[in-house]
Amino acid sequence: MNTEILRIQGQDSKTEEMILNLGPQHPSTHGVLRVILKMDGEVITSAQPDVGYLHRGTEKLAENRTYPQMLVISDRWDYLAAMSNNLVWALAVEKLMQIEVPARGQILRVIMVELNRIASHLVFFGTYGIDIGAYTPFLYAFREREKILDLFEEVSGARMTYNYIRIGGVMADLPKDWIGRCRSFLEWMKPRFIEYDTLLTENPIFQDRTKNIGILPQPLAISYGISGPNLRGSSYRFDLRKDAPYCLYEKFNFSIPTGKNGDCWDRYWVRIEEMKESVKIIEQALDLLPEGECNAKVPRIIRPPMGEVYAQIEAPRGMLGIYLVSDGGDKPYRVHVRPPSFINLAVLQEILVGMKVADVIAILGSIDIVLGEVDR
Amino acid sequence: MLNYFKTIYKVGKSLIQGMLVTWKSFWQPSITVQFPDEKLITPERFRGALTFDKETCTACNLCVKACPTACISLEPAVDPATKKRIAKVSWYQIDFGKCNYCRLCEEACPTKPIKSVRHTHQYEWGMLERKEMFVKWERMSPSTEPSTSGSTNMKPI
Ligand code: SF4
Ligand code: SF4
Repeated sequence: MNTEILRIQGQDSKTEEMILNLGPQHPSTHGVLRVILKMDGEVITSAQPDVGYLHRGTEKLAENRTYPQMLVISDRWDYLAAMSNNLVWALAVEKLMQIEVPARGQILRVIMVELNRIASHLVFFGTYGIDIGAYTPFLYAFREREKILDLFEEVSGARMTYNYIRIGGVMADLPKDWIGRCRSFLEWMKPRFIEYDTLLTENPIFQDRTKNIGILPQPLAISYGISGPNLRGSSYRFDLRKDAPYCLYEKFNFSIPTGKNGDCWDRYWVRIEEMKESVKIIEQALDLLPEGECNAKVPRIIRPPMGEVYAQIEAPRGMLGIYLVSDGGDKPYRVHVRPPSFINLAVLQEILVGMKVADVIAILGSIDIVLGEVDR
Repeated sequence: MLNYFKTIYKVGKSLIQGMLVTWKSFWQPSITVQFPDEKLITPERFRGALTFDKETCTACNLCVKACPTACISLEPAVDPATKKRIAKVSWYQIDFGKCNYCRLCEEACPTKPIKSVRHTHQYEWGMLERKEMFVKWERMSPSTEPSTSGSTNMKPI
């Protein structure tokens, strides 16, 4: 058998840019995201996220749904933090109708949203570990998340699509003994953070793979409209819970963690610290919880007056906003959602350039997107 | 060279620390459930498959209007003697392929004390064909019980 030796000539050999498709079926893209990477060897010269595989047209669907029906659909945007979606929709409609929710309803909303923030960041913590190559944290994170979902199941009847926060209040008051179970969960949760730090945060391999990787400079973050933990990772202190409080957030005592360099590790660390702050908020909320009604008086058929509003909250992934136009009927005239994931994803094309292909997954994971919200 | 060994020491140490955490968890009681043999108890508010009470329903259409995905359809009964509508259903159908399990229909239903359409705690339900997802309740012929609601068509595991 003859073998031919290929000789690569020095001067007239040509190298070509290579195009690599990451996704839409790649397990580490956390859903159906496709990123078109142009590479020069190992180094990325251009990255283009391609979205829309999960598009369900919910903004258009809203024009054919009544206001309470739209709550059911809002559950499907960011399915890891459906309570936040319910809340922002309820806030928008309440703002339009000028409904004042009783204090108990407000505090209940805060408890649910913050529990959901912990659950959502736990999914980030677990899946980010898997992305980097550590499987163990995933199992620990999902064990804790399961406890939160059990609490939600008791209170709303569902594990992911809660439909619990309603226009004018909440679906129903807390079931019996729920507060006790919630408190014991919080007590159980606190020592878990030490475990997480040992398993992942302080692991030198994990730190090597995330520190100084995917640096998002502060001016770039601001010009792209990045919000949430990604912005705070770039050491910019901005949190709607402090800067434009809703649902009595001004009554709570909590701090806003910020990173230093804006690299993957900072974004990761901010989320871990946020979980600890959320535990504090829930504890204060359980102490604060006043007696009384949790629902405001809402007409049976909701017909907001003509007008337009913008409502926004700090969802686990950033600033979630709803722009709502009403023509006085029982269905919205036009709805626009400002999804934090979609806007955070856009910066990927800037921060991936110049990185090695092995770091793409680490950077993509640290942005923490949910494709249900990106595509709506 | 020194750095090299330092790194090895650091990684080795964190590996052992991590293993200690797993070692501790190893002795904690297991939280997983061996599903078909053991089952968790669903909470009171659990939103499982819907059930319908064809005798109490007044055919008021409120649940149809409340549903976000239009998966309920019904026809009011007609009195054969007077040819007038009566406050009963002739048939009632839910398309479980579209249902969100959202409880809006149950909340809208005015019958008291037990709602005509309501969630059960049933969460095991296998279907082989799309048309099995349409569950129909008929009032006129008493022999037709709901055929697919329940585990009648499920193979034992
Ligand atoms: S649970 Fe929701 S989607 Fe299902 S039938 Fe009732 S209203 Fe419709
Ligand atoms: S199930 Fe209830 S809401 Fe629906 S038609 Fe019957 S009585 Fe009315």
